[in-house]
Parts: sequence; C-alpha cells; structure tokens
Amino acid sequence: MADNGNGFEPEITVFMCIYCADMAADTAGALHIQYPANVKLVKMPCTGKTDVQYILNAFEHGADGVYVVGCPIGNCHHVRGNERARVRVSRVKKLLDEIGIGSERLEMYFVSGGMGETFARVANEMTERIRALGPSPLRELQSEPS
Amino acid sequence: MFEPRITNVISGPKTDAGSVMVIGGGVAGMRAAVDLAEAGLKVYLVETAPSLGGRVAQLGYMFPTHDCVLCRGTSDHGYGCTRPAISPAFQDKNLHPNIRLLTLTNVIAVDGQAGDFRVTLRHEPRHVDPARCINCDLCSIVCPVELPSSFQMELATRKAAYKVAVRAIPDAYIIDRGPYCDDCGRCVAVCPTQCIDLDERPHESTIHVGAIVMALGYDLSDAGEYEELGYGRYTNVIHSMQYERLASRSGPTEGLVLRPSDGKQPQRIAWLQCVGSRDQKYPYCSSICCMYATKEAMIAKERLPGVHAQVFMMDERAFNKEFNAYYEAARKKYGVEYTRARISYIKEDPATGDLLLHYPDPAGKLIQDRFDLVVLSLGTVPPRSAKTLAEELGIELNEYGFCQTDKFTPLETSASGVYVCGTFLSPKEIAETFLDAAGAAGDVMRLMSSQLGQNPSSREYPFLSIGDEFPPERDVSAEPIRTGVFICRCEPSIDGVIDTQDVAGFAETLSNVVHTERLAFGCIEPDLDRIRQAIEAHGLNRVVVAGCSPRTHESLFQRVIRQAGLNPYLLAMANIREQCAWVHESQPALATRKAKELVRMAVDRVGLAQPVHKLHLKPTNQALIIGGGVAGMQAALSIADAGYNVTLVERQAQLGGNLRHIYYVAEGQNPQRLLRDLINRVRGHERIQVLTRSEVKTHTGRTGDFRAVIATRAGDGDVKTEMRHAVTIVTTGGEEWRGEIYLLGQDERVVTQLDLEEIIVHRPEQVAEFKQVVMIQCVHPPTETEYCSRICCTNTMKNALRVKMLNPDCQVYVLYKNMITYGFREQYYTEARRRGVIFLRYDEDHMPQVARRPDGQLEVRAWEQVFGREMCLSPDLVALSMAIVPSPGAAELARILNVPLSIEGFFQEAHLKMRPMDFMEEGIFMAGMAHYPKFIEETIINAQATAGRAITLLAKKPLYFGGPVAVVDPEKCVGCLTCVRTCPFEIPKIQADLTGVGGIIGAAYIEPALCQGCGTCTAECPAKAIQLVAYLDAQLMSETVGAWAV
Repeated sequence: MADNGNGFEPEITVFMCIYCADMAADTAGALHIQYPANVKLVKMPCTGKTDVQYILNAFEHGADGVYVVGCPIGNCHHVRGNERARVRVSRVKKLLDEIGIGSERLEMYFVSGGMGETFARVANEMTERIRALGPSPLRELQSEPS
Repeated sequence: MFEPRITNVISGPKTDAGSVMVIGGGVAGMRAAVDLAEAGLKVYLVETAPSLGGRVAQLGYMFPTHDCVLCRGTSDHGYGCTRPAISPAFQDKNLHPNIRLLTLTNVIAVDGQAGDFRVTLRHEPRHVDPARCINCDLCSIVCPVELPSSFQMELATRKAAYKVAVRAIPDAYIIDRGPYCDDCGRCVAVCPTQCIDLDERPHESTIHVGAIVMALGYDLSDAGEYEELGYGRYTNVIHSMQYERLASRSGPTEGLVLRPSDGKQPQRIAWLQCVGSRDQKYPYCSSICCMYATKEAMIAKERLPGVHAQVFMMDERAFNKEFNAYYEAARKKYGVEYTRARISYIKEDPATGDLLLHYPDPAGKLIQDRFDLVVLSLGTVPPRSAKTLAEELGIELNEYGFCQTDKFTPLETSASGVYVCGTFLSPKEIAETFLDAAGAAGDVMRLMSSQLGQNPSSREYPFLSIGDEFPPERDVSAEPIRTGVFICRCEPSIDGVIDTQDVAGFAETLSNVVHTERLAFGCIEPDLDRIRQAIEAHGLNRVVVAGCSPRTHESLFQRVIRQAGLNPYLLAMANIREQCAWVHESQPALATRKAKELVRMAVDRVGLAQPVHKLHLKPTNQALIIGGGVAGMQAALSIADAGYNVTLVERQAQLGGNLRHIYYVAEGQNPQRLLRDLINRVRGHERIQVLTRSEVKTHTGRTGDFRAVIATRAGDGDVKTEMRHAVTIVTTGGEEWRGEIYLLGQDERVVTQLDLEEIIVHRPEQVAEFKQVVMIQCVHPPTETEYCSRICCTNTMKNALRVKMLNPDCQVYVLYKNMITYGFREQYYTEARRRGVIFLRYDEDHMPQVARRPDGQLEVRAWEQVFGREMCLSPDLVALSMAIVPSPGAAELARILNVPLSIEGFFQEAHLKMRPMDFMEEGIFMAGMAHYPKFIEETIINAQATAGRAITLLAKKPLYFGGPVAVVDPEKCVGCLTCVRTCPFEIPKIQADLTGVGGIIGAAYIEPALCQGCGTCTAECPAKAIQLVAYLDAQLMSETVGAWAV
C-alpha cells in the first residue's frame, strides 16, 4: 500500500495481548468504531512476551511503524508483563534512534478491554504519525536495486 | 453432532439425581455453579435477567486492588483473565458441560425435600435463539425504539432490540417486547440467521434437583427515599452505582467522570456515606460503602487532575486485608479528604447546578461548602424477589429481610437442602461473596457426596469437555503440512465489506494451503460439519478459520477440529469481523487487503504449529489439613463426609484452638457446644486421622501428588509420619497479641478482652463490684503495620453488654478509633449505646493514657472530641482489644510450603478478591484466621469453601496441567537466573539435577503445573533457551508479521 495514488500509506504491525488489548479491539468492532486499515494485529498471550527481536524483526520485514498494546498498568493479567514490555519498548526506541529508523515509529499503549474508542483513537494516532514520517528507511533500502 | 449448550429451553432428562439448582447468576451463583460442576454434579443456573454477572458486571474497578473487573468473568466481561477467575466456564461456546444456563427464568414453585426437589420454572421469552445469534447488531440498528439502558444506570440508551453489554453472557441479543415495542418486525426481516421469533411465548418447566443454592444478591436502597438529599431533583446528585458506570472503562464515557448537568469535568466531588444504611429505616451497616466510596474517590483523583474529593462519613469501616493501608493511601498519597459528618440536607444553586452542603468545620462551626457533584453511597437492601421466593421455599428471613441462618451453620437456610451465599445472606464485598459461594458449594457436595464425580468433565483440551467424547487423535507428525482455510461470509457482517471471494482466491495461492472454502455462517450447523468433512476429505492437518473473534469462537473451532481427529492446537483464527470488516466499513478495498494479510499470517502461524498435549496425573484420595481449630476441624469434616481421607495436624496437645477460650458470642449461641460437637465428630470420623503435638516438617510435590513429613512429639523424641496427599489446607489460625502496653502484664486490673470474658464467665461476682470499666480499642504492636482485626469491636460490644447486664450501674467507657460493627452487628453497637455505654473516639494525635496513681488507683486519660478537652477516668478494670496476630508458626510454615505471607504476616492468597482461599500454588488452600482475623461464622464459611475447592480436585480424575506453557531447553541454559527474576509468579527454579549449556551443573526448570503461560521469561532469556508452546519465536518472527503481501 506504499503508494495508492493519494501519497504514502503506512504498514503498521501491532503486537497486542489477548486480554485487555484484544478485548478492546473487539469492543471497537462490536461498536463499529472506525479506524484505518493500515494496522495488522498480532496476538500474544501477554505484552510481557514482546521480545525486542519481534519488534526489530517486524521493521526488518517492512513495517513502517510498530506499536504494542497491553492492559493498563496495574491491571496486567500476568501482574506486570506490561511493565516489562514498556521497558523493552523504550530500549528498542533508543536502538531505533541509533540505527536511524527513529524512535517515533514505535510506541506502547495501555488500554482496558472496554475502551473501544481508545483503541481506535490509538490506531488513528499511529497511522497519522507514521503517514507524516513517511516510509520506513529500511523499506527504501530494501526496494533499491542492488 | 454439536449440541449448543446454551439455551433457555430445557431439554435433558427429567429426573437427574446428581443435580443442583443455583438461583442467581451473579458472581456468587457463577462461582458456586463452577465449583459444583467441577465436582461432577450437574448444575442448573437460574437467572432472572437476560445475562449473567449481576451487580459486579457493572463495576469498573475493585477495591483495594484496583483491578478492573472487565476480564474477570462477569456478564459485561465474558472472557479474559481466565485462569484464576470464573469466566471461561461460562463462555457461550465453551460452557461447562455440567452447567445448564437458564436466563430470563424465575422460580415459581418448589415442592419436595432435600435430595428430591421439584422446581417449577417460568421462562420469559428472549425472542432470539442465542445459539444462532451472531451478534451482528443489525436488529438493533433497524430498531426504532430507544430506551434508557439500565445496565448503564440510565446514563446511556439502548434499543428495544439490544444486547445488555458488549460481552454479555449469553453472547446474544434480546428483543424487549415491552409496551413500547410496536411489533414493526424490522428486526425479524433483517436478521441474517433467522434467529428472531417475536411469537415466542413464556413457558414453564419442572426440574428435579437434589439441592438448591440461593444466590439472590442484593438491591440498592432507593436514593429517592431521602428527599432532603435531592436525588432526582438535582441533576448533579447521582448515586454510587451511577458513579461506577461513569468511572468504568466500559461505561458511557469510557471512564471519564463528567457532570450530568453540563458534561463538564467536576472539580469538587462529595461522597455522602450511609444513605440507606445505619439509620432508622435500615439499621444495619451495608459493609461495603466505606470501601467503594474510597475507591471511587481515589479513581476521581487519578483521572481528574486537581479534583477535590471529600467523603462525609461516620466511621471508616476498612476491616479486611490491606483495607487499612488502602485508606492510608487514599488520605496521604491521593489526598482524599474525610470529614466526620452526616449531611442532613443538600441545596442546589440553580444558576450553576452546584450543590451546597452544610457541616461543622474542625472547630465545630457550621460552614457551607460548594460541590459540583455529589455521590450518594447507597446501602444494600434485600433483593426484591426475596420475600416471595422465601415463602415458596419455606426459608426464614431475618428482621432486615435477608436470609436467616444459624451462626454455626452459616450457609444453611431453615429449609433442609437449601443453602445460601453472597449478599442475600448479609451485605458483603466480592471476596467474601466468593468464599460464601464456594462454601455453599462445599455444603452441597457434602450433602450429595454419593453423587460426586458422576458427571466427570475434563480439561484435557483448551476447551472444557466430557472426557471421552472424541475419536482418537490423528498423528500428523510425519505428514506434509496440508492447510485448509475456511472463510466465513457471515453475511452481511463480513461479506458486506470484505470481498471474501477475493480473499479465498488469495488464500489458495499460499504455501501449504490445499483447500479453501467459504462458509455462510461457520459457527453454526451445517457449516461446522462442512469443516469436519473437509478435514477428512482433503486430509487436512492444519486449519485456519477466518471469521469472528477467537475470544468467543476459538474453543468452538478447536472442538470441531478435535472432533475430526486433529489436535486442537493445529488451528489458527484470523479475526476478519470485529478487527477488520466492522472497523473498516468505509474502506472496503483496504479491508479486503487487510483480511488477506490476516489470513496469510494465520496460515503462516498454523504451519509452524505443533500438537500440544497436557500432562496428567491421578490425584490421591487424601487431604492434609494443618491446624486443628474450628477451621481445620470444619474443613476436615466436610472433606471426610464427602468420602475422602483427611490427616489433621495440630501443634498443641488438644484440638480446638481459640474456640476453647470463647464462652459466648454476641448473637447468643454457645460456642463451647460447637467445640464439643466438632471435636467429637472429628475424633469419631473413620476417615479422619488426628495427629496432635505434631508439625509439618517438609512439603514437596505438586497438586494431586504432594509429599509431606510430619513430626509428632513423643516422650522419647519425634515420631515421623510420611504422607502422600492431593491437597493441603492451611488453618493455623491467629491469636491475641499480648505485648506490654497500657500496663498490661504490670497491673492485674489491666486485662485483654479474652481475659475479661474469663472473668465474666468464671468470676461474675467480681463484675458486680465494678463501678467503672474502660475498654480501649485498636491496641496493636506499635512498630508493626496497623490493620483492623475485624472482630474486636463486636467482641467489645458483647462484653460491654454482659458487664451492663451483670451490673447495670457500672459505667462502661469504650475508647475507639472507628466503630466497626459491620453488617447486622451494628445492632450490638446500637444496643450498647441504648444501655448507656459511653463511647469516646480517639485518634493518633490524642492516644489514651493509662497510669497508676500514687494511691494505687488506675487512671485513664482520654480526649473528649465534642467538648474539646481531656477526660480523666478512674476505672476498676481496663479491658484492651488486642490486635489479632498470626500464629507464631506461620512464617516457618510459609517457608516449608513455599507460599507467601501478606504485609500483616497472614498467609497471602492468590488474589485478594477473586481467589481469597487459594494460594497461587495450585492445590494449597487456606481458611480461618490464617488468612485474616474473622468471626466464627466467617471461619466456618471459609473452611467449607476450602473444603469445597479441595473436593473439586479430589473428585477429578485425572488432573490435567501444562499445555501452552514455557519450556526450557536445558542445553541452551546458562543458569543466569534471568527467568527466575523475571517471572511475575516466581515459578522458574534452577535445578541442580539438570545439566546446562556446556555441561555446567544446574539449569532452569519451569513447572508446567504452575506456569501461567505469559511468556515474559521467554522474551527476557538472553540465551533464547525458553520457548512458549503455541507462541514460538518462529511464529512471531516470520516475515508475515512485518511485511504486507499486497
């Protein structure tokens, strides 16, 4: 979807837990709250499962942006998996700055299962942000003829 | 082949000896139903409302944990935090095979007796067949009738064709054919599965059951009765349940509290306590309001920057574990203000909608204060259905209209075979409701012990099953991957947005895909059977279903592929409905593209999936109970009566614990009779082995198969007993703290309340001599964490009333901080005041002083708050309410069992609210004062609850564990302890008998019976030595996670 005629459309990978985040996504669905189709949702048992490698791997394979959605702090089904994820996300953000991809292409959000509006708002927010940033520098590298 | 298990039409056998009826589908009824079902009994769960969950479904957050209730298994919140809580057994597509859910159903007649009840039910029409409703919302969209939503406490609207809440159970809509429905029939016309029947009529049915559990819950007091507070007249006066909805993340504003009159964020909020509680009309204490108001105030402080939150109250009744610390946090960390005043009237400023309150300032001067929102903390009243139902069942209600039970058989109603639990028994919070429910289930198991395990259910698979309902599993290990992709059209839900033909064509091009099929409605027959047939016809060994949410439907499709001989983990779902079609309605081309991408990811993931098999073991027939007080003896009897062996270990020479020193109770019964009765029955029971003078020395193993060594003190050293058992119950109790304080131990006229009880019983003539007695409350170790010992206030009332009875002229002073006579115990406080007991409140800044004058007379100095000066008392006796502290052996036992202690030093449960009797370690439970100080009746309930939970494990053969858990490859492990430190549940251990990388001694081991499957360790492990089954790194790092195909 890199160019659909109206300019750049980002591809975004979302890592989310099967508790609050997945439920919030389903709530948004049940209430038909609209958000951009740029986000691809990848489920994990807990955001504590968010391996630094997973995020980097998603960028490596072409994602223009990545975000992680977990339960609100203090309400993680696995007590503090979301806090672990938050630390890792901030670590990867530093890495992304260092390697020139840019930390703003990665974010973490905390939503509760009933927060369909918020889930959709987050998707909008990230899509807008990445749209403004343009394609991932990695993607441009990969598409260059070698 | 697949029978939908959820319906409000009864089929099934007419006479079913091993069945139980649970009336009330709130958390109490749900908990009791699951426990009974797990014990192998059949359960009919009857609920008047269209969905389960009761009051708790409407709450946003629980005190004091601030967990949201969203995923904890209630109506609004069907799925989610599944492992510990109660929900997965109630999911529509995964309903427990022993539970039959009867919503919109009322009990209209009951005949028969314990063991043989005939219950006549009346089923109101839902007009929607829940088994065929696909939650597409179309009926609601076309419905022209808009009504206030009672689920949202009238703060939002719903249609006449509606769903109670997004995640309601049953997961289906309902057509409300009240007078406002004009039978336009649009919903019928639009329904894609033809599941609406407007002509459905109410009907009756009769069910035979052996026992009945009443879990009717409570109603809220009517705020309108208190006209002076302006509810209903002033827009910005709301009640506490409305506030709960506003603060709930699933509420009308997703948790943002806004003023009803103008939608602005409030700046000053007041909570008024005891509205419909502790007054002339409702003389009892509702027990929960102090805590929920504090919770609401804290959440306001969290969400609304700069808000002023002020609570107007009489006492702070924070009488459970960690509640005291919660109040401290509210006051000090959050800045919630507490004012001791009962507001007598509210006035509105019509110009602004603000509310004017009048109350005395600290100096005693009456002031007027302005608030922009006032919340009335409503008390609890008996459920409105209680009276007629009680008459029909022949059960007695107490003077307040709640269920009457005896203190020593607290869950048995006056009708044999009918039990009660939850707030219908007395007002109480969620944790105690769960204890009640599990306890009532335990009572039923004891009554119906001969039928336990007759309907075994199995957790062999990720869904609940009956055990032997499936053909043998096909071994697919040598087969090349053959994936089948099934795409639900769910017309028009999915098809209306996504071009499923295009998606199917795309799926065919993906590697390993050998079969692609579009289904009209994959979740109902005959399409379910098409999946089974396709698996067989095409030799499929991996299945992808692209349709609706795996949250609601994964267990259904897992079951279906298992029916076709495949391991349930060889399924992947792509959610192209809730997470695609419905949220990208305006971009159909892009939605189709995303659907393809989700299918591609699922095909990729399932290609890497491997079959998963849980481990299993057969539990032994034996329970170990540590502590021979009321709790231990009661639990032992319940388990032994249900047909299992019990070893009861007691440190002292005699059974009985604290009960040996209790001679009377506030309610009037004789605890010594209970003591004799319990000891006689325990000593005489053929299934109970009593080991006194004994202690547990070692404890190893896992649930179903523990090993312990018990040492018994004998004349010539210890005798060791080795045992193997399936469950362990900790009932080590607590005791009165006896520290040197207020001259205790230095002057014999200063005694504890237990001492005073001895005097009253054995030396009443001494009481007749007293001219003045001073009782001091809340005497606790000065250096330790302060917590409420819960029983002391009522105990003091009991002794104060006895002193007054023996010697009416004796002056009795009670110096207290907060009078915590919760529930119906308020009557003893009222009675004490009526009899002239004088109450003086003190606080940290004005602690009472006890001294001996030179002439030998005792002197107590106390601050009189109303007059603002010190009072000097000259008592003949000072009685101290000492804190209840854990038994001295608790810390050592915790070490042996490898279980945690709470900040107060009591045993720490797995979850303060949802699992109050369980340890995080499966198979170990706690009851009585080992958990926290509690009354005899509460201890008995707690003991029965643990017994019930223990029986569900003992009755279950075999026990399954493991499955999608973290597994260590020792050959990669360097023993760095990262997983040990990372695990939120402290499960990984370095085991010396394992060999790590390069032949080093010791590698990490993760016990599959304990692992919660979060994968946090796998993500931190620097050597990548841990993999989470079903969420392998390869699955989460494949190309499809990042790259889009088209």
